[in-house]
Amino acid sequence: MIKIDPRFVAAVRSAKSAPDLWVHLQNAIELEHSTIPPYITAMFSLKPGTNQSISNLIRSIVIQEMQHMAIACNILIAIGGQPKINEQGFIPEYPGPLPMNIGDLRVGIEAFSIPLVKTVFMAIEEPEHPIPVTTALVAEEEQFATIGEFYDAVKDQITKLGPAIFVNKTAPPQVLASDYFRPDVLFAITGPDDANRAIDIIKIQGEGTSADPFDNPGEPAHFYRFGEIAAGKTLKKTETGYSYDDPPIPFDSSGVFPLRPNCKIADYPDGSQAKIRIAQFAYSYSNMLNALHSVFNGSSDKLDAAIGLMYDLQTLAASLMMTPDPTKSGFNVGPSFEYVQLQGGM
Amino acid sequence: MSYLDSPRLHFNGWFQADVSTINNDVTAFDTGPSAGPPDPGWNPEGTGIFRLVDCAVTGGFLDGRPLSAGDDPAIGMTIENADERPPGKLVDLDPQQQMVSMIFGMQVRLVSSSLQTILRGEFKPAPFINLWQRQITGLRTDQKLGAMYQSVLERVTWSEEPESPLVRALREASQSRKLSIEFAVYGYGRDPKIPRYTMGRVAGTIGPSRSGEPDHFVMGRQMIAPGPLFGTPPGRVGTLQAKVAKDGRSITVDFGNSFQVETADSGLVDIGKVLFGVLTTNPDTVQKSVAESGIAIIGEVPYRNANWYTQTAGIETFDLSGNAAAAKYLLDCPLVVVSPSAAAASGYDVRLQESISGLYVRADQFVFRIDPGETQTVDFCATRFGAPLAGAGIALSNGGPFLAQLGGTPPDLSVPPSGVNVPPASGPPVVITTDSHGHAAFSLKANADGPTLNGDAWPRGYLAGQLYALGYQLEKQPVTYVSSTGNFVSILAYSRRHNPNNVPPTWYDDIQPLFAQYGKLYPIMSKYVVDLSDYASVVTRLSALSLAFSLPQSDPNHMPVTRDLGLADRQMILQWLATKGADGLPPLGTPRPAPAVATTQAETRATGVDLDPMQQAGKTAVILKYERLSGKGAK
Repeated sequence: MIKIDPRFVAAVRSAKSAPDLWVHLQNAIELEHSTIPPYITAMFSLKPGTNQSISNLIRSIVIQEMQHMAIACNILIAIGGQPKINEQGFIPEYPGPLPMNIGDLRVGIEAFSIPLVKTVFMAIEEPEHPIPVTTALVAEEEQFATIGEFYDAVKDQITKLGPAIFVNKTAPPQVLASDYFRPDVLFAITGPDDANRAIDIIKIQGEGTSADPFDNPGEPAHFYRFGEIAAGKTLKKTETGYSYDDPPIPFDSSGVFPLRPNCKIADYPDGSQAKIRIAQFAYSYSNMLNALHSVFNGSSDKLDAAIGLMYDLQTLAASLMMTPDPTKSGFNVGPSFEYVQLQGGM
Repeated sequence: MSYLDSPRLHFNGWFQADVSTINNDVTAFDTGPSAGPPDPGWNPEGTGIFRLVDCAVTGGFLDGRPLSAGDDPAIGMTIENADERPPGKLVDLDPQQQMVSMIFGMQVRLVSSSLQTILRGEFKPAPFINLWQRQITGLRTDQKLGAMYQSVLERVTWSEEPESPLVRALREASQSRKLSIEFAVYGYGRDPKIPRYTMGRVAGTIGPSRSGEPDHFVMGRQMIAPGPLFGTPPGRVGTLQAKVAKDGRSITVDFGNSFQVETADSGLVDIGKVLFGVLTTNPDTVQKSVAESGIAIIGEVPYRNANWYTQTAGIETFDLSGNAAAAKYLLDCPLVVVSPSAAAASGYDVRLQESISGLYVRADQFVFRIDPGETQTVDFCATRFGAPLAGAGIALSNGGPFLAQLGGTPPDLSVPPSGVNVPPASGPPVVITTDSHGHAAFSLKANADGPTLNGDAWPRGYLAGQLYALGYQLEKQPVTYVSSTGNFVSILAYSRRHNPNNVPPTWYDDIQPLFAQYGKLYPIMSKYVVDLSDYASVVTRLSALSLAFSLPQSDPNHMPVTRDLGLADRQMILQWLATKGADGLPPLGTPRPAPAVATTQAETRATGVDLDPMQQAGKTAVILKYERLSGKGAK
């Protein structure tokens, strides 16, 4: 479970004005984004033609994380703030804690594996009170707030501050990207009701509700979708509750690029293919953040370029993941999510 | 004005051309049941990306003097590509014309040490030119050809108050938000085991641009190296261009693509003392040697100085202010690159000479992609000793038979069917005449039905479109003229719509035949992003595909990346992607019965040349075939 430092929740609850909330929505943007690098790395590491069901499941989660990031951006824009996406520090340091996190959950950049899903991805998405399926992690006795509590605090405070704080109610400057996202998921935030409804989407898609692990019929919340991958089976409702059951979700361990975990650009000598390609990936990822920054700061025409970069990243990841790692025999180079602004490597 | 004027900045570094090599082999386009696996080439999973890597401003020129480190804040800044969209793509015109590889969608930026973008411009898509055997030795798999790109940066924007006097001067000298850019590329590596894999060296220059001037060559002095096409000229100095300053007080020469390198990492080869000068007469032949009295020396080319090439990108300005003789002869005598005579006690051996009588004609843009029914303009410009040549006839001819020698594998190109209005191969040339500015335009028109052969809209069988070549020369070209045989206009005429009657397209009938080909030709995408040959995969990416197929060719994300699909077929694909059947997805249709035999004109590829396995196709194979067919060895 993501354990949020309770001081963040307290700070949200003490916000007296919209500008007091901006930093917290920026944190929410950064938190929603921070799950994408580990998830897409795992997804890209699955070799083509293998593990297709797993790849599809992760992709469906990644797309929703992008939606969540967009929702947080739109709420921030709606209450007069400006998302900051194009700067050093927007991407957390991997391996490390996710934004606002306390506790011992450290998230790295690694190739897909079942233990990675079980110990990291499910921990990221774990609800406060998971519905028993096949596994139940023991909650630790610690002082922390949950992501749900954080978002509940944001909802409460937005409701308290009322409709007056909503100054940018339309897209643009908000972003709907209706070619890519359903209008019932990504919609213009015009007031507290819309904001609350949008935040509920983030919560339910991530964790489900306390009564139902499905956020949509046939679509389990992220925690349970990762649970399906970990169990190798599909989540089903039973007469007594829920179980992971047929059809199977098979995992072929030979269908994964053997990536050295947590590669960094600086790990490789200048003039090596490894350095050229890892730096190229990081530069393109940074370009995508630059484009998204523009999209959420008034230049919605940059959305096409951002989408183009997302597709480019898949081909660059493939090139990278086929490159042997010169620092560790038997491994290939994995991506690094460093914010870089120059193309180098030679 | 151009990159050969002042002010200008020079840069040096690396480029990456991560081309996919599958489409180097024509037979890769065959998706019929009898098609074998395509020759993967040396980089089958290339992304097509062209980008600049570790490029920095290394020198400049301002107010009549060269600049080096410490002279201006611009020196040391980096030259970058886009920061909010993908880098450019490098694309062959066609598998049967791979010798005009073109950069699309590349943004170029000048970035300060504090990472501020000082200037930003869009590289107008351009092919390389002056391809020659520049590298002498090296790895067996190295691409030993060098070439140059010349184009303009368009829609240039500047930071508000650049600190650099050089940048400020460049901004003031430029018009129409345009800049002139040139760069030489060489030392390209094709061995996956070396750091240079898909990487090569680049040395370039950015200078001012004025409207009304050519985008892809300089209205200046043209020195064309004789010798075999793509080979090494006997004088060991490659084709170049030069420009006399408007005030006549200096001449600037681009040696950037003219000196050989031993290996990709060696620097320039020392061929002894090299001088630049002008003959005192205007001979009607290329001179092998010249007496002391027959030349006015302008200066020594300092190519052997350490860092000269890095700092200047090979561009040297010679002062003419104290050289009245040279200034006088320059007006109507040819420039020469010479070395002290190897055989005689005095005099010089001529390595390179300006075109006979200073005459020159160039098509500014010389690569065209044209849709059925479309008209495009080929702009020609004729000069004599760098000045516009008015009233000159330009003879246009059918270059098909020549292009066929470069065409790699069959199908045969030598007698292309009707499709565009290039003059017939058998008839007399078409003559157009230059205006008072030396310009002449040819309206290139494509048939409304596109190329057809006996009613077949795909005259090359499984390969869509048809290639044409428009040859050109001055009508009154001296018989002794040395021309650059590679200079002709290459045209890819797109086929008409795959489904011409606007029948609502279906997957099986219309889309799969096209997508299966591109899936095969761009495996990095079809394997890792979306399998274009698979309906189930395609329908998971409808929005992204609609975006990519609707982008202009100049956009880096244009699909297909090979840019060999005409507008009509792209519109058909977009129509299909936007159609929703009962299940909300584009219509599948019914499978076609398997064809008994693929209807194709292609033959089995047979090079008959001992090649490294990684060079079976691509430019090396093209050159070897050209040498075989033309009887002209490159060495």
